[in-house]
Amino acid sequence: MNDPIMTDMRSEYSKSLIQLGKENPDVVVLGADTTDSLKTSGFGKEFPNRFFNVGIAEANLVTISAGLAVSGKISFASTYAIFLPGRAVDQIRNNIAYPSPPGKKGLNVKLVTSHGGLSVGPDGGSHQTIEDIAIMRVIPNFRVFIPADTIAVSKLIQLMAREYGPFYMRMARSKTPLVHSESQEFQIGKGITLRDGTDCTIAACGITVRMALEAAESLQQEGISCRVLDMFSIKPIDHEILEKAARETGCIVTTEEHNIIGGMGSAVAESVSESYPVPIKRIGAQDMFGESARDKEVPLLLEKHGITSFNMAKQVKEIRSKKL
Amino acid sequence: MGLNYYQIKKNILRARKLVIKGTNIAGSGHPGGSFSMAEILGCLFNKHLKFDPNNPQWEDRDRLVLSKGHAAPGLFSNMAVAGYFPESEIDTLRKFGSKLQGHPDLKCPGVEFCGGSLGTGLSYSIGIALAAKIDSKNHHVYTIIGDGESDEGQVWEAAMTASKYKVDNLTAFLDRNFIQQDSYTEKIMPLDENLDGSEISEMWKDASRWKTGDKWRSFGWNVIEIDGHRIEQIDAAITKANATKGVPTMIISRTIKGKSVEHMEDNPQWHGKAPDSDIVPIINLELDSQFMITPSIIAGDMTNLENEIKRCVTGRADYIHLDVMDGQFVPTKTFDHNKIKELRPLTVIPFDTHLMITEPVKYVKDYVDAGSDIITVHAEVTDESSFGEIHDILKQNQVGVGFSINPDTELPEWSYKFLQSLDQLIVMSVVPGKSGQKYIEETHEKMTRLNSILKQHNFSGYIEADGGVNLENIGSVFSDGARAFVGGGAIIGQQDVRAAIRDFRNEVLISRRRGLLAKANELGGIDLVNKWIGLHVIGEKQEQIKKIAQEAGYI
Repeated sequence: MNDPIMTDMRSEYSKSLIQLGKENPDVVVLGADTTDSLKTSGFGKEFPNRFFNVGIAEANLVTISAGLAVSGKISFASTYAIFLPGRAVDQIRNNIAYPSPPGKKGLNVKLVTSHGGLSVGPDGGSHQTIEDIAIMRVIPNFRVFIPADTIAVSKLIQLMAREYGPFYMRMARSKTPLVHSESQEFQIGKGITLRDGTDCTIAACGITVRMALEAAESLQQEGISCRVLDMFSIKPIDHEILEKAARETGCIVTTEEHNIIGGMGSAVAESVSESYPVPIKRIGAQDMFGESARDKEVPLLLEKHGITSFNMAKQVKEIRSKKL
Repeated sequence: MGLNYYQIKKNILRARKLVIKGTNIAGSGHPGGSFSMAEILGCLFNKHLKFDPNNPQWEDRDRLVLSKGHAAPGLFSNMAVAGYFPESEIDTLRKFGSKLQGHPDLKCPGVEFCGGSLGTGLSYSIGIALAAKIDSKNHHVYTIIGDGESDEGQVWEAAMTASKYKVDNLTAFLDRNFIQQDSYTEKIMPLDENLDGSEISEMWKDASRWKTGDKWRSFGWNVIEIDGHRIEQIDAAITKANATKGVPTMIISRTIKGKSVEHMEDNPQWHGKAPDSDIVPIINLELDSQFMITPSIIAGDMTNLENEIKRCVTGRADYIHLDVMDGQFVPTKTFDHNKIKELRPLTVIPFDTHLMITEPVKYVKDYVDAGSDIITVHAEVTDESSFGEIHDILKQNQVGVGFSINPDTELPEWSYKFLQSLDQLIVMSVVPGKSGQKYIEETHEKMTRLNSILKQHNFSGYIEADGGVNLENIGSVFSDGARAFVGGGAIIGQQDVRAAIRDFRNEVLISRRRGLLAKANELGGIDLVNKWIGLHVIGEKQEQIKKIAQEAGYI
């Protein structure tokens, strides 16, 4: 594969927000003392009366966003993924997800976080969230995305602004490789087949999508045809694409920067076990926390948790032998 | 919109009864916290809040956020009284399929906030207030938070944020009832002082020891401290808050959990418990038996009425009775509307203006303009037409309507049609003209006669006893049906007005307890009497009530 083009999700988020702000006067943006880091402060400069920095107070951040939303605003609230949802689960549940105006489900708040997963690196295990997907997936009315690249970020932000209701989207801290084309369409609850294959499927999300493509490429050399899915929409999950993959390839490896309990892998397993059960192997944090790793050491940290293209290829080979 | 003091009071009573009904039928719920904020909600719904029950989503409505969501029965009851849904729907509280959920929910049109998880309502209100500012809307956000929920850190995150963003379109109330689920707030997590044991009850009676207001002041809020059961204080505080620009306002309201039902008052057990069915009729009778003490200042120093007003204020009078005498209808002359106008700025306590003048129709507007909260005119100097005119003027100006009869006057038949819209009927128990006379004993008998006429004509106001009321006879005057008591020499004539008023209240309380015991005895004999007595676990109430029951031979 060619060397990837690396782009920054937070810059893309910033750009998308400003564009939204110009198009829609109801868009408001809130931050919690991480607005320079999340790059939402750019929106604040353009639209100071629609931008609120509530300080290091995530609970407050969430609930104020809800109050704005119930008054007709489209709230984008952002900080690091470890703190949102981590510091405000009750507020997310009871102030955003639960309150449902007549004919609607939840309030119109978009929680967009950065610094998801282990690849946060040097800040260490205290800052590496491997639980957020599990937390957000279980809350009714929420939809949950993990974009793989900046093209996904831009399109998903537009989609969330258009679509009423609560969303959670987790971005990565570091620059990510482009895996999508500009023309790629993103729909709620629709996975994307990035590479077709017949012998096995790798279902990936976020920064692991590129790794999955690399794994598929190397498996190709060995004569194994591997399908790669970008399951950016973790909730709702695309049952159709998964059932098809199970039927046509007979086994699935999932891979994510998240605890294997409750994450995308769990969502895939739940779906497939109800539609067309096939062997599944979940790659991700094996129910253990992360730790500090300088930027150039992040691959080592990911490797410790098996999040490498090499391990993906290895798991594909192993799971094929277990096919029914 | 904008009811007078008396109508607000009536609606608060209606709401309280619905809370009892709803929680009783549901078998659970939170009457204690619903009652501590009853007057706050009553003032909001009946006077200050802009809303349209037929169009709950009206864009320009004021928003009411009940952060202490467990007091949902209080909110729903006020919404029922305000016409959002029929009062009978309170029967579905907490039931499967009902819009009246255990905690306030957007499922019920008109509810603005899904409460229940404590400590979040203020942040939510800030969001609403900020949205209004972005949209240049003038509606106001009112939020009620609890003192127990002030344990939550998010309350203080919100305190800082509201101040930073100068949300002056937000007015919050702290329902400071000193009780949370486990026990007294000052034992669980002190907001004022960390105190041990028995000193607590003394502490919260002493406003000088409260520090909660200072906390909010230090966060940059405009802070107003009030007695949260005094309608006139709540009313004045809201008006002041709305006029304050550039900062949010916190109205610290000293309240009593379970207020108006003796066995619930200040009793942590009633945080989240429903009353039993056999007790409900006794509670309703108790709610119907609220009473007011209104000192008559002409019994004091006529050369310094300003000082008499001050004595009424420190004495914690419910109203101040102002006897206007013209020297014609009665031989004496006191003061006129000009004096009332001068006295008005001295207090927010309602002015109970009693016009003993000829041709009141000519002057009634002057007394409205002077700042009276209720104006009473005499049967002897009005007829159907002139009283009708007076009635309309008062109603239009949101002033209470009072009617009075002298000892030798029977209620004229022409007045019957006005009875249902009267706020007050003064039954004179002395010949008006001067203070210091003796209570005319025939009045007891007259009251019995009057009660049946009043009932027949749906009178729902208060009977005020005026003349010769003292500690010896006030109990029997109460049991005759009077609910407001004018105290001349027996109150204003005393050196310590506060003690005199307290003694008046205590006497009425004994009489009321006697009446409630009689009710319990009538409904359930000795078992119910004992059960009801047993509910009174705070302070010395139980022993006192037991004594009354023994004297009456119920136990």
